[in-house]
Amino acid sequence: MAGIALQNLVKSFGSYVAVSGVSLDVRDGEFLIMVGPSGCGKTTTLNMISGLETPTSGSIVIGGTVVNDVEPGERGLGMVFQDLALFPHMTVFENIAFGLRVRKVSSAEIKARVTAAAEAMHIQPLLAKMPRQCSGGESQRVALARTIVTNPAVFLMDEPLSSLDAKLRVDMRTELKRLHGKLKATFIYVTHDQAEAMTMADRIVVMSKGKIEQLGTPLEIYNRPATRFVAGFFGTPTMNFLDGAVDGGATGPLFRGGGIEQPLPASLPADLRGRSITLGVRSEHVMVNGINGAASSPGTARLLEPLGDVTLVHFDAGEGRSLVAKVPPVTGLASGAALSFEFAAEHCHLFDPGTGQRLN
Amino acid sequence: MTTAADVAGEAARSRRRRRERLGKIGRHAILLAWTAFIAFPIFWMVSTSFKDAGEWVAWPPHWLPHEPTLHNYAQIFAFGALDPTLSRQATEQAFTIWKGLGDALLVCTAASLLGLLLGTFLAYAISRFNVGGKYFRHTILMIRMIPPIVVAISILIYYAIIIPYATSALFGVRISLFDTYVGLILIYTVTTLPFVIWMMLTFIDEVPYTLEHAARLMGAGRLQVLRRVVLPLVASGMVVTFLFVFILNWAEFLLALTLTHPEVTTLTVLLNKFQSAAEGRLYGPQAAIGTVVTVPVVIMGLLIQKHLVKGFSFGTIRK
Repeated sequence: MAGIALQNLVKSFGSYVAVSGVSLDVRDGEFLIMVGPSGCGKTTTLNMISGLETPTSGSIVIGGTVVNDVEPGERGLGMVFQDLALFPHMTVFENIAFGLRVRKVSSAEIKARVTAAAEAMHIQPLLAKMPRQCSGGESQRVALARTIVTNPAVFLMDEPLSSLDAKLRVDMRTELKRLHGKLKATFIYVTHDQAEAMTMADRIVVMSKGKIEQLGTPLEIYNRPATRFVAGFFGTPTMNFLDGAVDGGATGPLFRGGGIEQPLPASLPADLRGRSITLGVRSEHVMVNGINGAASSPGTARLLEPLGDVTLVHFDAGEGRSLVAKVPPVTGLASGAALSFEFAAEHCHLFDPGTGQRLN
Repeated sequence: MTTAADVAGEAARSRRRRRERLGKIGRHAILLAWTAFIAFPIFWMVSTSFKDAGEWVAWPPHWLPHEPTLHNYAQIFAFGALDPTLSRQATEQAFTIWKGLGDALLVCTAASLLGLLLGTFLAYAISRFNVGGKYFRHTILMIRMIPPIVVAISILIYYAIIIPYATSALFGVRISLFDTYVGLILIYTVTTLPFVIWMMLTFIDEVPYTLEHAARLMGAGRLQVLRRVVLPLVASGMVVTFLFVFILNWAEFLLALTLTHPEVTTLTVLLNKFQSAAEGRLYGPQAAIGTVVTVPVVIMGLLIQKHLVKGFSFGTIRK
């Protein structure tokens, strides 16, 4: 078992800075997911932890030891790659046995451990096959078996589910979560899929442009995004954003912008009054036609997307501004129909329009 | 009922079919003529190898031997002292192929293996560590475009004069590379190295680097990664490259002619030496040797074709 600490980690390729000053403590036995758009530095960070990339500066501490100069194979890590990286010229058995063979483990022990790993991943019938004869899901399990067979204290996973179809991906999520519970090892998992991050992680690290935007539990990230970037990255459909200013109304603080007046919670810090802000609100907190509660601003429905359990209403909120509301499936609305809407005041997120930092 | 439009359409179709047929015939005619042009010298060589001395330069030419004989083959494959019936008049020339065959096999195999070994590791370094920068791989191929005649004389001067002089001055031992196996193996290795690097680059580039990363994370050192992962995956490519380079060396004439004689004699050089004072050029034995020399090349060519397909299609690596 091992915790990992990243201390002010920097990685640049020439003049391009891929990771700029990342500091992070990964707790022992934690399932930590690093998430962010392509090029945000998450895979580079993972590669530095694994030893496949050397940090430009900063240090990596695994189990209390600085491992910057330790060979990848000696860091006690296991890694699952995006393309799985199964050796195409070896059988599944040999693929799983590879790590044990290079460590010169006895053949009897190799056989026992490979069989145990294959049993754990339910792939015993595949042992004699070549990787090309395995399906996507089977290859995934082989890659996992190959990683668990060496009993690493830390598992690194670089978008391992990205090559699977949607259903299999959901199944494998459950499988990974189960595996984590069973092994009680530290998992560091990289993905750009927010659903994967939300469903599996103990904590999520959101990265953008080589920096950590926010670190927190899935619900903290969802309910109290630290920046506008995080707010926009998590949640489907994307959070609605409106530019405007905070005004002091007779009944309490008020958001005014783009012809919309929206009451804000009375608990809002007083120094925000009069300040320009970006207001963010998730679609499920947009109330339409009083279906969810009182509604006040006028709008026009443009597009309805019934998803079965909910319906997404894309509507014009005036001044060419388009917003989305998530409402119960039976709305009685039609495209082009007039509607009225309001945001749930306690669920409004306020961000600085310049820095994107959360203000409330 | 057929309308005027139908008739016109049918006529246009038939014109197109005729054009396509003519085009096909034309293409085949050109290809056949080209094949005949290319294959004729080989046919003539094989035919001559079965002719007796009188038929070699007969006029009008004998396309096929009128009195086929194995005499030429018996001569080149003879063991020990030449049987008087196989001997040609007034010549001291050794006709047998064995020395040339042995030398050629030794030199070509050693040079091709050495070239393959060095070239594979160099290609790995270029592919993975970008050794030499972005354009290095093209520069390497450019070296190969220099005609051998440009370097032959300078190498001869090094082999026969500078190296012996320098070694005797420096170490007191005169080491000459001229007319030695080592000398010829070295120059063959060097001249074919660009080909090996270029060919192996295409194979090594195909191996995803994540396979190496995976192996390293499982505790394999760099050499183990090469031995257990990279080399097995490019084995087919190495076979193709070896055969390709072997053929190049097997057919090389100019450097062997310049840098050896009389201790080391490759087949191409031996071929050139077949003449007698009485009969001039000994076309029959030459043709017999030519035929014997060509057979392995043809076999290797066929092998390459088979392996090349395998070599380029890993087909199992998910990208």
